[in-house]
Amino acid sequence: MDLRSINRKIDLTMVAAVLLLCIYGVIAVFSATQSTSLNGGDPYFFLKKQIVAFAIGLVILLALLFSNYNKWKNYMAFLYVLNVLVLIAVFFVGQTHKGAQSWFQIGFFQLQPSEFSKLILIVTLASFLANRKSQLDSMRDLLLSLAHVGLPLLLVLAQPDLGTAMCYIAILLGMMLVAGFPGRHFAIIILAGIIIAIVGIQLHVLKDYQIDRLTVFVNPDNDPKGAGYNLLQSKIAIGSGQLFGKGIFSGTQTRLQFLPERHTDFIFSVIGEEAGFFGATLLLLLFLVLIMRGLQTAVFAKNLFGTLLATGIISLWLFQILVNIGMTIGLMPITGIPLPFISYGNSSLIVHLMGVGILLNIYARRYV
Amino acid sequence: MKLIDTTLERNVKPEDVRSRLLILSFIAIGIFTILISRLWFLQVMGGQMYMELAEGNYIRVIPVDAPRGLIYDRNGQVLVNNRPSTGVSVSPQIAEKYPESLKKLSKILGMSIGEIKEKIAEKKVDPLKPRVIKWDLTDQVLAYIEEHKMELLGVDIVTEPIRSYPHGTLGAHILGYIGEISEQEMAKLKDTGDYMLGDTIGKTGVESIYEKILRGEKGSQQLEVNASGRPLRVIKNQDPIPGSNLVLSVDLNVQQAAEQAINEAIQQAKSTGKPENGANADAGAAVVLDPRNGEIIAMASYPTYNPELFVGGISKQDWDNLLNPDNKFPLNNRALMAYPPGSTFKPVTLIGALADGLTAKDESFLCQGSWDGLGKKWVRWCWNHSGHGRLGLVKAIYDSCDTVFYIIGQRFYRQGEERLQYWAKIFGFGSITGVDLPMEAKGRVPDKAWKKEFNKGNPEYQRWYPGDTVNIAIGQGDLLATPLQMASFYAAIANGGTFYRPHIGKAMISWNGNVKTEFQIKPEDKHELPVSKDMIRYTQSALEQVTTQGTAAAAFAGFPVRTAGKTGTSQVRGKEDFAWYVGYAPADDPKYVVAVMIEQGGHGGSTAAPAARKILATALGYYDKGAGSNIYDPSR
Repeated sequence: MDLRSINRKIDLTMVAAVLLLCIYGVIAVFSATQSTSLNGGDPYFFLKKQIVAFAIGLVILLALLFSNYNKWKNYMAFLYVLNVLVLIAVFFVGQTHKGAQSWFQIGFFQLQPSEFSKLILIVTLASFLANRKSQLDSMRDLLLSLAHVGLPLLLVLAQPDLGTAMCYIAILLGMMLVAGFPGRHFAIIILAGIIIAIVGIQLHVLKDYQIDRLTVFVNPDNDPKGAGYNLLQSKIAIGSGQLFGKGIFSGTQTRLQFLPERHTDFIFSVIGEEAGFFGATLLLLLFLVLIMRGLQTAVFAKNLFGTLLATGIISLWLFQILVNIGMTIGLMPITGIPLPFISYGNSSLIVHLMGVGILLNIYARRYV
Repeated sequence: MKLIDTTLERNVKPEDVRSRLLILSFIAIGIFTILISRLWFLQVMGGQMYMELAEGNYIRVIPVDAPRGLIYDRNGQVLVNNRPSTGVSVSPQIAEKYPESLKKLSKILGMSIGEIKEKIAEKKVDPLKPRVIKWDLTDQVLAYIEEHKMELLGVDIVTEPIRSYPHGTLGAHILGYIGEISEQEMAKLKDTGDYMLGDTIGKTGVESIYEKILRGEKGSQQLEVNASGRPLRVIKNQDPIPGSNLVLSVDLNVQQAAEQAINEAIQQAKSTGKPENGANADAGAAVVLDPRNGEIIAMASYPTYNPELFVGGISKQDWDNLLNPDNKFPLNNRALMAYPPGSTFKPVTLIGALADGLTAKDESFLCQGSWDGLGKKWVRWCWNHSGHGRLGLVKAIYDSCDTVFYIIGQRFYRQGEERLQYWAKIFGFGSITGVDLPMEAKGRVPDKAWKKEFNKGNPEYQRWYPGDTVNIAIGQGDLLATPLQMASFYAAIANGGTFYRPHIGKAMISWNGNVKTEFQIKPEDKHELPVSKDMIRYTQSALEQVTTQGTAAAAFAGFPVRTAGKTGTSQVRGKEDFAWYVGYAPADDPKYVVAVMIEQGGHGGSTAAPAARKILATALGYYDKGAGSNIYDPSR
C-alpha cells in the first residue's frame, strides 16, 4: 500500500494535524508545569501523565477506527441511559474539585465523566436525529431534541459544571443546524436562553462570583485582584509574547506562576507567551485544518448519522477552541473549558482523540 | 427535498446538507479570523506594552544604598566614618498584632515598651517598613534574640553600615548630622531623581552641603519574584557607587583646641562670679581661617551635641533635649549667627574714614572720658571714663577709644551719604560670605531705608538719627555680624587686602583609585578690597599694637610670635556683654585668623582674647602656657 492508497482510506491530513497538535500540547503542558519544581514538585509529573493519556487515547482511537460506527446507533438507548447514570453517579462517588463534583478517581487516573458524556451525547443525539422519520421541522422534533439534551444538561448544571453544559448546547445547535432544523427553532432557543438567563440572575441561581467570572472579560480592570486577575495575567502573558515569543520554557509569567491554571484552562496563554504570534497562529491554523477536514468528513459521510456525528464533534471542538482561547485573550467569559488536544487533562485528551477516531472511521467508510 | 429514505437506510443524507455544512465552515472561518486578529492586536500592536507589564510583574528592583563617603580633616584624619552595626528592627504591623513580642523585646533591650513604640512611630514614611529600634547590640543580646526568634515575631536582626564619629562631639556643627529625608527635601531634590522616601540625607553641616559628593549612587538588585512576591533569584546586581570622600580644610588639632578654648573661656568667665565679667556666659563660637586662601581651619560652637544621636533616627527625648531652651540650643552653629560685633568693628570705621578723607593718619583727638558731640542731652561715654587724653588713630584702635570713633561716626553722618554702611558692605558685612555651610546669617548693616522698614509699625522710631551712625562706628546699635564675617574681614586685612570667600571643603577623593581632586578657588571667590595697601598696613600696625600695649596686651603677654587683633565688648539688650576677639598671627606673615565670641562673656580682652591666644598657639604649633587666669580688661 502506497501512501496515496492509505490516504484514500485514512485522512492523513487530519492525522498529521492531530499529531502535531498533541505534540504541541505535550510541550506546552511540560513548559507550563515544569516550574512546579520551584515548589518542590516533580517537574515531569504532568508530562508523564499526559503522555500516558495520549497513549491510551491513541489505542482507543484505533479501536474506534476499526469498529463500524453505523452499528453504534443500535446502542443509542443503552448509551443514553449509561450517560445519565454516570452523571448521577458523580454526585455520590465523585471527587470535589473547586466546588464542582465531577471527578472519578480510578487508580492513577482522574476521570471526568462530563468529558466523556459530551462524546456520548454526540452519538446518541446523532442517532436520535438520524432515526427521526419526520423532516425535523416540527415543534415536536424541537422539543424532543431539547429533552434529549436537557436531562444530561440539568445533571451537569447541578454539579455545577457550566462549561460542559455550554458544550452540550453548542453540540445541540451545531447538529440542529446541519440536520436541517428551521431558523425559527434557533430563534426560539435563543429567546428561551435569554429568558432563562434573566430569570436565573433574578432568582440568584448563579452566584455572584459566577456572574463576575462571566462578565469580567468585558472590563478586567474592574477587579484586577479578584475575578479579573486571571484574565489580566493571561493577557499580559500572551501580549508580552509579541511576534516570536519568549522561547519555549522561557515564559516568565508562566514559569513564575503568575498564570493560574496555566496547564489546563490557560494553556493557550503559555503558548502565546512562549511561541508568540507566529506560534499561536500556527496552533490556530492546525486547528483550522482539523476542523476543515472534519467538515469534509461530514460532507463525505455516507449517511446522515455519519454527517451528524462529524458535525457534533466539529461543533464541540469549535466551541471549545472559541471559548478557551477567547477567554485567555479577553473575548469570552472565563469558564473552565479545556483546549482540545492541548490542555492538560487525561479525560479531555482521550475524549478528543476518540472524536478523531470517530471522524477517521466515518472518512474511511465514506464509500462503503 | 429533505427526503428521508425509508427504503434502504433510513438515514440517507438530504441533498442540502452540503449548504448547511458550508454555513458551519463559514462560522468556523469567522471564529478563527476573530481569534487571530485579536492575537495580532494583543501581541503585535500591544506587545510592547504587555512586555513592560510583564517585566513589572516578575522583576522587583530593590535599591541598594551606596556607602556614604567619609570625611577627613586636612591631614587625613578621619572625622566621620562608616562602621557596620548590628541592630534590631521591628516590623510595625506585626508589632501591632503581637504585643507579646514587644514585651519580650523591651526586657531584652532594657527599653520601655513606650520607647520602642515611639521608635516605631517615628518612621515617617512607608509605615510598613521595619524600623530599627536599637543599633550596636551586645553579643549577649544578639545571641538571645537569635535563640528566641520563634517567640519574637516581627523582630529581625539587621546589619548595616552606620555613620560613626571617632571624635564624638568634635566638629559637630561643621560635620552636621544625617537623617531620613523629609517630604520637602524630596520635593526639592525631585530632579535628582535618585532619592526615595526613607533615604538618609545630610541634614546640616558639610553632610548637607556636600551631600551630592558624599552620597554616591544607589545600586540595585533585580530580583525575580513569583506571583506571591517571593524572591526566587537575583537577575542582575548593580553595585552601588560609593560616595566620594570629602577632605575638609579643618585641622583636627586646631579644631580640638578651638573647642576646648571656647569651653574654658566660658568656664573661666563663669568663675568670675560677676555677671558683668561673664558669670552668665553660656555659649560661644570661634572661627579659624587661613587668610591666604580663606580655608576654614576650625570652627567651634558651644554648646555642642553628638551627631551620633541622629544615627538611625533620633529619639524624641533626645530631640526635645536639643530643642529645649534651657540647653541653649546646641544645634545652632553660632559661628554663623549674627551678633553686634562691638569694637572689633572699629577697623571698618577707621579704614572707611581714612579712605573717604574724613580723618588722616596723623590726626589727633581729645578723649575726656565722655563725648557730647550730639548735644548735652546725649552724652556718650568712652569705656575709659577718665579719658584717654590726646591720642591718635593708632592708639584709638589699640586702646579701643570710643570717643575717637564717636567723632568719626559723626563725621560720617554729617557727610550725608551712608558711607560708613557702604564700607561695611564692602568688607562683607550685611551679606552672607557664601561659605560652604548651611544656615549662614547675613548679619545686618543698618541704614535709613532699613530703619524705616524695620519700624514700619512705629512711625516715631523710623527716623535715622546721627546717634545711629555713631553707634555703628563703634560696632553697636543695630549692627550685626557673624564671627565668620568678622574672621573674613580680618583675614582681608591680614593678607593685605584680598577678600576670599571662606570655605571648608578642600578636596574630594574618589572612592576608587583614591584620586584626590582639590576644589579650586574660583575668580568669584576672591576679590581685592578697593582700599590702598597703605591704609591696610596702617591698620595692621595698629592691630599689632593692640596685643603689645593695647586692650589685648595682657592676654597676649609672652606670646612667642608677633600677633595682631582687636578686642570687642558688645552690648546686647537684656543680656550681659558679649566678649569678642578677632586677630591673626604671625603679625608679619599671617597664617591664621581667629575670631572668638563668647555670649555674655564679659569683656573681649578678658574672656575672648585669652581663648584666641590658645587657639593661635596650637595652630602655629607652639607650646604656650597661656595668658594666665586673671586677665582683666575693662575696655569695650
